[in-house]
Amino acid sequence: MAGKTELPPQLRHEATRIERIARAAGLDFGEVAFEMVDARDVNALAAYGGFPVRYPSWRFGMDFERLDKGRQYGLSRIYELVINTDPAYAWLVRTNSDMEQKLVMAHVLGHADFFKHNVWFQPTDRRMLDRMADHGTRIRRAIDLHGQDAVEAFMDSALVLDNLLDPFLPLREHMKVRAGATRAAGEAAGASFEAVRERALGSSSSRPPTFDILGFLAERAPVAEWQRELLRIVRAEAYYFLPQRMTKIMNEGWASFWHSRILTGGVLDASEVVEFADCHSGATASSPGNLNPYKLGIEMFRTAEERGLDLFRLRRVHNDASFVDEIVDEDFVARNALFLFGRNGRTGRTEVVDREARAVKERLLLDLSWGGLPQIELVDDDHAGRGELVLRHHHDGRDLQLSHAAETLKSLSRLWGASVHIETREEANVRWMSSDGAEIRTGERPYERAS
Amino acid sequence: MHRIERDRARFREIVRGRLRSDLRKYLSTSELLGRRGEHSVTIPIPQIELPRFHFGDNSKTGVGQGQGEKGQPVEGDAKDGEGAGGAGEEAGQHVLEVDVELEDLARMLGEELELPNIEPRGDKALVSDGGRYSGVRDTGPKSLRHFRRTFRNALRRTIAEGVFDPTAPEVIPMPEDERFRWKKRAPKPDSSAVIFHVMDVSGSMGREQKDVVRIKAFWIDTWLRSQYQNLEVVYIVHDAVAKIVDQQSFFSLRESGGTKISSAYELLLQLVRDKYRPEDWNLYPFHYSDGDNWSARDTEKCISILRDELLPRVNQFCYGQVKSAYGSGQFKKDLDTGLEGEEKLVTASVNDREGIAEAIRLFLGKGR
Repeated sequence: MAGKTELPPQLRHEATRIERIARAAGLDFGEVAFEMVDARDVNALAAYGGFPVRYPSWRFGMDFERLDKGRQYGLSRIYELVINTDPAYAWLVRTNSDMEQKLVMAHVLGHADFFKHNVWFQPTDRRMLDRMADHGTRIRRAIDLHGQDAVEAFMDSALVLDNLLDPFLPLREHMKVRAGATRAAGEAAGASFEAVRERALGSSSSRPPTFDILGFLAERAPVAEWQRELLRIVRAEAYYFLPQRMTKIMNEGWASFWHSRILTGGVLDASEVVEFADCHSGATASSPGNLNPYKLGIEMFRTAEERGLDLFRLRRVHNDASFVDEIVDEDFVARNALFLFGRNGRTGRTEVVDREARAVKERLLLDLSWGGLPQIELVDDDHAGRGELVLRHHHDGRDLQLSHAAETLKSLSRLWGASVHIETREEANVRWMSSDGAEIRTGERPYERAS
Repeated sequence: MHRIERDRARFREIVRGRLRSDLRKYLSTSELLGRRGEHSVTIPIPQIELPRFHFGDNSKTGVGQGQGEKGQPVEGDAKDGEGAGGAGEEAGQHVLEVDVELEDLARMLGEELELPNIEPRGDKALVSDGGRYSGVRDTGPKSLRHFRRTFRNALRRTIAEGVFDPTAPEVIPMPEDERFRWKKRAPKPDSSAVIFHVMDVSGSMGREQKDVVRIKAFWIDTWLRSQYQNLEVVYIVHDAVAKIVDQQSFFSLRESGGTKISSAYELLLQLVRDKYRPEDWNLYPFHYSDGDNWSARDTEKCISILRDELLPRVNQFCYGQVKSAYGSGQFKKDLDTGLEGEEKLVTASVNDREGIAEAIRLFLGKGR
């Protein structure tokens, strides 16, 4: 990053003031390191998922290109970025106005509190900054040894599989570790808490049936040692980012709830009120076909407050799905004018299908469950005695995008070194897809080679 | 942040590689036309995103927010698969668009078709009068007086004479203090070229034929632009009479009627004599037709205009014959026999879109 990154004095002063007010209101966060960056730099950081040091990859370049084009055309603008580390690094954009800086600082403190207390974030590594840098070093070393093309091709094939995860695995393992003996034993043996946790994460996932397919592959795929290392890196980063997928609405809602509360509670100068209202309503605006997580989140917390619920407990124990389940009811759906939309087969238009609360809530829960990913399980790793993998898609009414699924399956089969099958459904009909790495076959049964 | 620049450079390299391997495809489709800006082309690159297991089409329902009764269309596009912000992360649906510099594209074309760079015409290489006002000298017009230098000299002289008083500074420039800007000459090799796209728009040239012409014109423009800094393009259409039109009409006009090719050649000749003189311009006429001329007499006239007037003046004359259902295709044969041995004449026939690449190679392959 070019130039100085520390806050100018008057903003540092504001930061201290806002932190004090936030703590008085009940927020609890670790150290937050605010840094100033240029609009271009923040796009680079966003392309890297918030981390200044990542492994080299063309995909980051692609994301950056997209973000930066959005900035140049004035279509999109990032105000801040904050990452879940200790201390939490928050990047503020230099072009923000003073009011906007105050707003995003309060917003960031909301996120920092959420990271610290929400249960889904408990298993995450707070020293991820170092780990990301370490991953970068390892991958660069692999490039030195095996060539950019080889490493890039393998990374791509690993990233294709980076959503074959078990969203509940980290927390399950974390609780197991916390619950007891392992921790004490580990510490007694001189191993760090992290090392024990790592072992727990690794060992549990090596046998089907499992949803942690990436974990299974990282341990069992017949690949070279350096490739295994890349698989582990991809898996570690995927699990690190997973809680953010699962709590996006809550996290943004919580941060927006608090920036609004803190700024209107005396931090705003009278001359800034209109600008604040404009900025805040822009961030929480929703268009009919597009549900804004900031908006849905803040409304859920406000509703919870009206009902006299303990907000701090809610932000600790829930993820998006369970929070929606707790808060959304007939009254909430009506008040927020939520509806279900769908494609009208006759006209080809997207239109309002239903305003009934039960249908709306059902759909929301469907979208939010399992981290928004298709639920895919590895059920067999030795199909027909030939070492072939069998995957099952737990179909919930939403079909897979079949051509992408076929490409993914091909890639998986090449990695595994044997045929791979997946059972899914197209509407109500069972579909099997099989690949031997080169071709794809679909049918009502898994494809069997003629022997 | 140079780290991201490296990743971005790698991404662009991959895009270029993709583009390079698909160039033949682009050479026969009109996909890139209309995507050209001043210096770059916006090219849609499908399939660069990694595939993943994600939800498909039938989940295009979701939860929205706003007013409206059952059955009312939802405004603003519902993002693919994006219900409540969770599932939208894949973003695998949309096609990525990248800007590629025209020069890059031309280089790829050059590699693909093995085109040589264009050699300067004849030995009287055209020289354009370049140069910038970056020099200083003692004489010159007042309007070019270099104030700072002049003042500095006057100040220096005043101090040397011992009459400078810091409390009441007064500096009066004398004529010998004056300095003037002057233009340092930097002769540049010639950089002006003009392309004439001449198209037969008689009744027999259909939509498909025009598309072929369009695609060919696009790539020829792209290539010549990379070879010349200053390129002008003149569009001429003709049936029985010829006229100059703008780019828009060139590609959309559909006249009908007879074909008198000599009308176009006469107009060309007039332009070359009056406006685009060969002393000042590199000239590249391209003529596209289905090869059906009005009469043998007119064809003879065309041949004589070409032989006596046009060919001596132009860098190269290209005739591209597009196959149509109605055209006889006689004109190309007549040119080939009537002007046999003329080095500056290149003729090619294009049967369909697949033939475009080969025709471009013929036209531009001589490096003239």
